Amino acid sequence: MFKKALLALPVALAVGVSANADSWKAPEDVLQGLIDSIDSVYLTQSEMNIMMMPDNPALWTADDGRELFHTPRGPNNVSLEACDFGKGPGVLEGAYVELPRYFEDTGRVMDLENRLVHCMVTLQGFAPDDPAVRQRHGSNSEHMQLQTYIAMQSSGMAWNPPMEHPLEVAMRDAGEVMFYRRSGIADFNCNTCHGEAGKQIRASVLPHKGTAEEWSKAISWPAFRVGHDHVRSSQHRIRGCYWQMRLPLINPNSDASIALMSYWTDAARGQPAILPDMKR
Amino acid sequence: MFKKTPVAAGLAAFASIIIAGGCAVADAGKTGNVDYTAMTSQELAEYLIFEANGFNVDQEVQEGGTAKQRLVQDEMHKACSVIGGGKPDQATLDAVRTAAAASITYPEGGIQLGDWQKGRELAWSGFGYRIGHNPDDHGNRPVGGNCYNCHQLATDRTGGTVGPSLTGYGKTRGTSEAILKYAYDMIYNPHAYFPCTNMPRFGSSGFLTQDAIADIMAYMFDPESPVNE
Repeated sequence: MFKKALLALPVALAVGVSANADSWKAPEDVLQGLIDSIDSVYLTQSEMNIMMMPDNPALWTADDGRELFHTPRGPNNVSLEACDFGKGPGVLEGAYVELPRYFEDTGRVMDLENRLVHCMVTLQGFAPDDPAVRQRHGSNSEHMQLQTYIAMQSSGMAWNPPMEHPLEVAMRDAGEVMFYRRSGIADFNCNTCHGEAGKQIRASVLPHKGTAEEWSKAISWPAFRVGHDHVRSSQHRIRGCYWQMRLPLINPNSDASIALMSYWTDAARGQPAILPDMKR
Repeated sequence: MFKKTPVAAGLAAFASIIIAGGCAVADAGKTGNVDYTAMTSQELAEYLIFEANGFNVDQEVQEGGTAKQRLVQDEMHKACSVIGGGKPDQATLDAVRTAAAASITYPEGGIQLGDWQKGRELAWSGFGYRIGHNPDDHGNRPVGGNCYNCHQLATDRTGGTVGPSLTGYGKTRGTSEAILKYAYDMIYNPHAYFPCTNMPRFGSSGFLTQDAIADIMAYMFDPESPVNE
């Protein structure tokens, strides 16, 4: 299993392409497939980014993550190969598109970032305030490198967060309430920007939550954000949206952030993930 | 911050939600363990936001007070937070509209147009009231109107399309007292005309000052303004 994952070099991966939504597919091919399937200004708004996809700088970030993932690290000097992301210890293929999910060992629904923290602390023995655990943002952070590597193993597979455990359903439904919940000095909710197709904020076309093909790209994080010159995570996107909405800083370890992610992932169900993606 | 306007009975039902959320703290048997599945999705959302360390609610905010107040919903927020993004029933919409109209106050001496050049920069600026990891320091820059985020105005800059285009606003509509009042009201509290609109209540919320509103209106109405070229 890991040997297979080890081969997941950007170049090597681009070869083994299949039309099956259950098998790995290069991110640029996934995006092209979505573009071909629907008339969407959101998907096609940046010709430059579409062209750059095969040379996405996030591929190097994923490569750094591969090295980190398989290297014994932390006070316990073990790799992350024993970490269970939901499909068994060390199974990364297709794991990310089935997150957030309920984990028996913690009794919590967890997203990728929180699951990674859990394994770094419990398996590798990192202190929760160790920079490796605490530093979440930027292409040079271990978190972004690991997240990008892990997520990439699900490129082309359909978003499919499980809704079998009652907590998974409860979290998604609470996330839905949060998505439509207006508050604050500017009265915004998520739906203000993502409730209609083809709308723009200034020059940027916004993804429509109700158009699954668009939403699949919208939630395809990690992605290289050209304007930031960094790879960014789902949690970073949520933080940025709350900032623009003039609402408080969301806690990335919180169930509030995971609930929102459960809802947004469920909204893209069945559509293929673009991992890693490129965004403006 | 928000006017404490009494709102019709149709809205009263929403008030119970927060209270219910606060009380839904699990069976006493489990220490520090709450059963999320025993709550409604509304209760759980309130719990996750306010009780489960969802947000940094203690941060000081520009208008005074703490970030918590940005998450506490007023009557309009509750009435207009419809799952699926639709509108509430007609009685609720009427109540929102009535409350909005009652919230509008006018400058002493009536509605005046300010300086369109200042208004042009304010209409463009998206600065102000952002908090969290990178709070806006209002001591450094004036609070902007964020108009171009959603509206096209003068076409030399690209505006959004979440709201209607306002290009040529004054040129098309003139500057009668009625149209000036309408534009002022729309900036101050647009729910007076479009209950549950996406547009912020820039006057009622205290987001923009009277001077800023006058300058932005000048940008919309002044014949010299590039909006009316």
